[in-house]
Amino acid sequence: MAGLRVWLMDPNPTSRRQARLGQFWLGWLRLRRNPLAVSGLVIVGLLLVVAAFAPVIAPHDPLAQDLSRRLLPPGTPGNLLGTDDFGRDILSRIITGSRITLYIVGLVAVTAPFLGLLIGTVSGYFGGWTDAVLMRITDIFLAFPRLILALALVAVLGPGIENAVLAIALTAWPPYARVARAETLTVRNSDYIAAVRLQGAGVPRIILGHVVPTCLPSVIIRVTLDMAGVILIAAGLGFLGLGVQPPLPEWGLMISSGRKYLFEQWWVSTMPGLAIFIVSLGFNLLGDGLRDVLDPKSAPK
Amino acid sequence: MTLLSVQNLRVTFETENGPVEAVRGVSFSLGRERLGIVGESGSGKTMTGRALLRLIRPPGRIEADAMIFDGQDLMQASERQMRGLRGRRIAMVMQDPKFSLNPVMTVGAQLTEGLRQRDRLGWDDARKRALAALEAVQIRDADRVMAAYPHELSGGMGQRVMIAMMLIPEPDLLIADEPTSALDVTVQAEVLSILDGLVRDRGMGLIFISHDLRLVARFCDRVLVMYKGRVVEELAAADLMAARHPYTRGLLNCLPRIGGARGPLPGLDRSGDWAE
Amino acid sequence: MSLIEVENLTVTFRANGRVVRAVEGVSLSVTAKESYGLVGESGSGKSTILRAICGLAPVSGGAIRIGGKTIPTPRGRAFARQVQMVFQDPYASLHPRHTIDRTLSEPLAIHGIGDSDARVMGALDDVGLPRNFRFRYPHQLSGGQRQRVAIARALMLEPGILLLDEPTSALDASVQAEVLNLLNRLRDERGLTFLMVSHDLAVIDHMCDRVLVMQNGRAVEELSREDLSGARMKTAYARSLFDASADRMLGDLEGTPA
Repeated sequence: MAGLRVWLMDPNPTSRRQARLGQFWLGWLRLRRNPLAVSGLVIVGLLLVVAAFAPVIAPHDPLAQDLSRRLLPPGTPGNLLGTDDFGRDILSRIITGSRITLYIVGLVAVTAPFLGLLIGTVSGYFGGWTDAVLMRITDIFLAFPRLILALALVAVLGPGIENAVLAIALTAWPPYARVARAETLTVRNSDYIAAVRLQGAGVPRIILGHVVPTCLPSVIIRVTLDMAGVILIAAGLGFLGLGVQPPLPEWGLMISSGRKYLFEQWWVSTMPGLAIFIVSLGFNLLGDGLRDVLDPKSAPK
Repeated sequence: MTLLSVQNLRVTFETENGPVEAVRGVSFSLGRERLGIVGESGSGKTMTGRALLRLIRPPGRIEADAMIFDGQDLMQASERQMRGLRGRRIAMVMQDPKFSLNPVMTVGAQLTEGLRQRDRLGWDDARKRALAALEAVQIRDADRVMAAYPHELSGGMGQRVMIAMMLIPEPDLLIADEPTSALDVTVQAEVLSILDGLVRDRGMGLIFISHDLRLVARFCDRVLVMYKGRVVEELAAADLMAARHPYTRGLLNCLPRIGGARGPLPGLDRSGDWAE
Repeated sequence: MSLIEVENLTVTFRANGRVVRAVEGVSLSVTAKESYGLVGESGSGKSTILRAICGLAPVSGGAIRIGGKTIPTPRGRAFARQVQMVFQDPYASLHPRHTIDRTLSEPLAIHGIGDSDARVMGALDDVGLPRNFRFRYPHQLSGGQRQRVAIARALMLEPGILLLDEPTSALDASVQAEVLNLLNRLRDERGLTFLMVSHDLAVIDHMCDRVLVMQNGRAVEELSREDLSGARMKTAYARSLFDASADRMLGDLEGTPA
């Protein structure tokens, strides 16, 4: 273990692999110094663990109804967070719902930034007509309120979890394109891009190998900060009945089903709401922490 | 007469890897004369200049046994007193006018702002003073320059405006930190001769900070050569060619000369005790 | 026969609807293994000529020939193996998020040249950088070390021509001496041809066999090294540059009794 650490911390690595792993290790050390980021990482890690082992952890079947035990308050033996209007265990539903949340977040996090980065860097690098056309399309997407656009897309595609993800991804990319374009504009006339052009590099190599790495940190940070918003939009679509369909335990859907009982049986809506809040907070804290880690200039000299 | 005397000035920065001393015990005194501070990057010359105005932000820390300007110890002065001194009695000209002038205000507005707020002059009086200041730095079409934005000026013009701005309150001491390094050689010569004339006519003290030994030698009365936060040699500018210290000699020798030998330039030998 | 021929080169930029002529009708020719200097103040168009040769500035008139052949537009890979450039600011010319290793191996990857491990090590040795700098990032290096990396990068493809755009103006005097010595050594070892831009006549005089004085985008006067050191310039502008050169100040000082 100590040997591994020395190997990772070696200021003069002997191979490319050692250098790269050493960078990761330094990044981890920097992240570890920030307690808020670590708590964000713990929350996100917990979400991953809970989602992975949901069937094992959940005390009850999330779909099993028991009308004799409906709307029991939190703290009831056997139903730690109470039950909903069909007598289903809320804790089990939240635990199982984490899988759906993670699924949505994961898919959006992969597709939207990829699309945004591609459009933004291409737009910024080429400029001129390409830029004008791509950016006007981006503007059109940005001009719609996100939820309304997602609603319209789901209305066309039909409700369901895949369509919800697609709708969210299609509404989430424009900010990334904007961020990537702005970064690209600042670097495209820099000497180091000129140098690689001078070496005979083609456009794909310049954009993917030289422009994207400079944009990536700010986009990654935006993504983690946006994850909270994605969860909320997914919840919103679920709440409106346009995302995940009942009886699947999606958090937004759970809030929606509890709103009839909000005043007397507050826990039915509050518990999934708290879950959304905690996970959103986790992503936000992690995003803030990554800001420091992803800047190589903050590395010790 | 001594205008400024500095005893054992130290500037320390707290970093993750322990304190780093940028300036390590610099002492000098200055009359109404032109003092040059020369050194390479990292020699602490800029930090010395900024420390005189106590313009070093945390985690930087300034220490000195004494730093007496015109009878007042700058180390003991309150932040409020320092604000009164900065600009009015001790002025500073920075390297690049592009970063020192506000890009969204016209030159005229920037020149008159201080006059109207600090000295409570009216529009007309302030404008007259500003025009006079621009003429003092040999700007002929002062009216046009007053109406221009900084980006519309050339580098040399921008630096003259900066100098004019610093000279309006008629300071006793001007600290010029690489005032001409961003300028072309012919413009450089003009700006230097303007500074020279102002120092002579107004009896100001001048601290001229530069990396260029030749320039400082030509322009100043006395030269401090700094290396790694210390003064390694102090000598009259006229004696520069007779400098004894190996660092000063090394700095002089490593410059290429017009008509000089074509062989490799001698490198700077940093093996002596002084390089510690 | 001359290796680089620039004939009647004109470069015009369009900025905010205004047409700016950065270079107007400049001709020059550099023979193989020669070192040719361009000197002038900012805005004289000296750097623009280098950028035009590299295809980084729009050529609107005239011809550029390398080895007797007009160079293609876009410049392409064959050109990259003939001509490389070292930029002025070593803080801006290295990718801040790439290690030195990545920066140096990139040209090899572009041109499909193998054996990159050994070549990168060899390049570091050539420019006098320790091998353990290989996986560092530019921000961990000093200005002089960065410029050495930039020189190593320019030489990775083993070009015959090196365009030097004020390679030492951002460096301290002692570091400048080291970098100039390095450039001269590499030139001798590899038989390189230099086209070098500088505002410092002393640097040009030290490095170059001939020099073209430029002003406002036009060529003013071409001087041989002997003409320069003997102060035999014909135009007033070249003389004023010579007189204002910082090097002359030291000469005056030597003349005055200490």
